[in-house]
Amino acid sequence: MKMKAIVVVLLVLATAALGSFFRPDVRPGYGVTGIGWLSDYFAPLKGTNMDTPIYFMDSGVEGPTFLLMGGTHGRELSGTTAALVFIENVVVTKGRVIVMPFSNISGVSIPDETGKALHFIQVETKSGPRFLVYGDRRTDPADQGIPDPMVFKHAQSGFTLEDGTEARNLNRQYPGVADGNPTQQLAYAIIEMIKAEKVDFNLDMHESGTPDKYIDERGNTRSGSSLAYTLVCHPDALEIGAVAIMEIEAFYGVSMKLEESNLGYRGLSHLEIRNATGSLSFLSETPNPGQDSWRKVYDVINDPDYPLKHRVGLQLQIIQSLFNAYEMLMGETVLVTGLPSYNETMENGLFIYLN
Amino acid sequence: MKKLLLTFFVVLCFAFVSFAAEILLEEPVIVTSAGQSPGALQFTVVAKMVSLDYKFDKLYKAEDVDMSQFKTFVIVVGASGKGLGAAGIDIEVEINRVLALAREAKDNGLKIVICNLEGASRRGESSDKIVTTLAPLASVYFVKSDANEDGFFTNLSEEAGVPMATFEMTVGLKDVLAQYFGK
Ligand SMILES: [Zn+2]
Repeated sequence: MKMKAIVVVLLVLATAALGSFFRPDVRPGYGVTGIGWLSDYFAPLKGTNMDTPIYFMDSGVEGPTFLLMGGTHGRELSGTTAALVFIENVVVTKGRVIVMPFSNISGVSIPDETGKALHFIQVETKSGPRFLVYGDRRTDPADQGIPDPMVFKHAQSGFTLEDGTEARNLNRQYPGVADGNPTQQLAYAIIEMIKAEKVDFNLDMHESGTPDKYIDERGNTRSGSSLAYTLVCHPDALEIGAVAIMEIEAFYGVSMKLEESNLGYRGLSHLEIRNATGSLSFLSETPNPGQDSWRKVYDVINDPDYPLKHRVGLQLQIIQSLFNAYEMLMGETVLVTGLPSYNETMENGLFIYLN
Repeated sequence: MKKLLLTFFVVLCFAFVSFAAEILLEEPVIVTSAGQSPGALQFTVVAKMVSLDYKFDKLYKAEDVDMSQFKTFVIVVGASGKGLGAAGIDIEVEINRVLALAREAKDNGLKIVICNLEGASRRGESSDKIVTTLAPLASVYFVKSDANEDGFFTNLSEEAGVPMATFEMTVGLKDVLAQYFGK
């Protein structure tokens, strides 16, 4: 254990000394009006593998500010990819959008610990071959720098989880701790940024397993993920979410489940961001075959039932439908051009929307 | 854009009016959840579209409600662990709360609507238990079609000889409300 700790410390020092941090491939379009860093809001992240780029898309016209987050969990590919499509194609014409495509970049920088998908997946775009990054759900242990606790305990409450590795899960650590471990500091920095930028509403894009039934080792039929196709809303944001999913079902034929934050389950973005900053919070889940533990082989891009274009198209549609519903209930909203709808993504394919 | 969205919903709904209500329901309406899923709130979003005169609280208690003020009681069924956890109650307490309200409603001559608005995602053991417990008091069922693929609601409706209206999409509930409330 001691040896392991020493190795971890040496690794951290070596990484810091070399300054070799993970840098994602992002190719901004005309809509991006500025690029910043999360460390601009919380300096201790600077020069670490927890710092992550932020893309500003400001219309210059007064209106609400929306924050779009991908990569909270590095293997949830539709979220990071939808964020890239947004940055590379959309122009905001009213209000402002801030995009953080790789929220926990440390998790993105290592391969999925379940180990079946490639870390870098090559796709063909209009600029030639390009790699999408398929990372891990949690912070790289080397970046965390301290061993995981036996039991995870949420810093601001008595809430605990049996699995100590959840200490490295960004989406358990909100609202974060300024002098805490690196994952807690990351959550803290995101909250600081949301406060400083006066974000009115936000979406944290995720993926879950698929809803497919399967047969377990004992021959029993088990139901698939109940999280797939869910929009989780802070209680104060539930009505906006209800209108959004009704529109998606009526016009794009995808039925989603509405869920409300469980007030007793602490540390999640959709609950804590609203409570800490006032920003109305949403979290989306699309079905990723790569997250079904029972699948022996899978293709996270071209699965026949859950292809990436379906999942990214749905994330993009959720964004637009949230904008529409926000206007209906709050009076004004963010207006954009160049945001592909679900149907456009399904018809045209996903990769024509990557630069 | 706001008008556009509303217009979409209106246009959409005309396409689905394809049945006649077998009973007529009257306003004012009182709405609660049975199981604390967000379905009850979704019901109110649709109810606003047809300007239904309703009052809603997902946690109404029989002792706090004057049922004589209402003509129809809508119970939106959906058991949610998250929702029950948030309210700090278990499923038995929840069933007893709604059952007490339904009995009070019956005593005051209200018609009782049992509604599944969230489809197959609210067809678990707990949701089904709520429905079967309340079934003897039902005047009518409003059910999203994919919740009835095994005929669960059809059987209940036929056994009790009460009508059932189904809709394919959540927004389709609007037509059902329009028909039954004569909107
Ligand atoms: Zn996730």
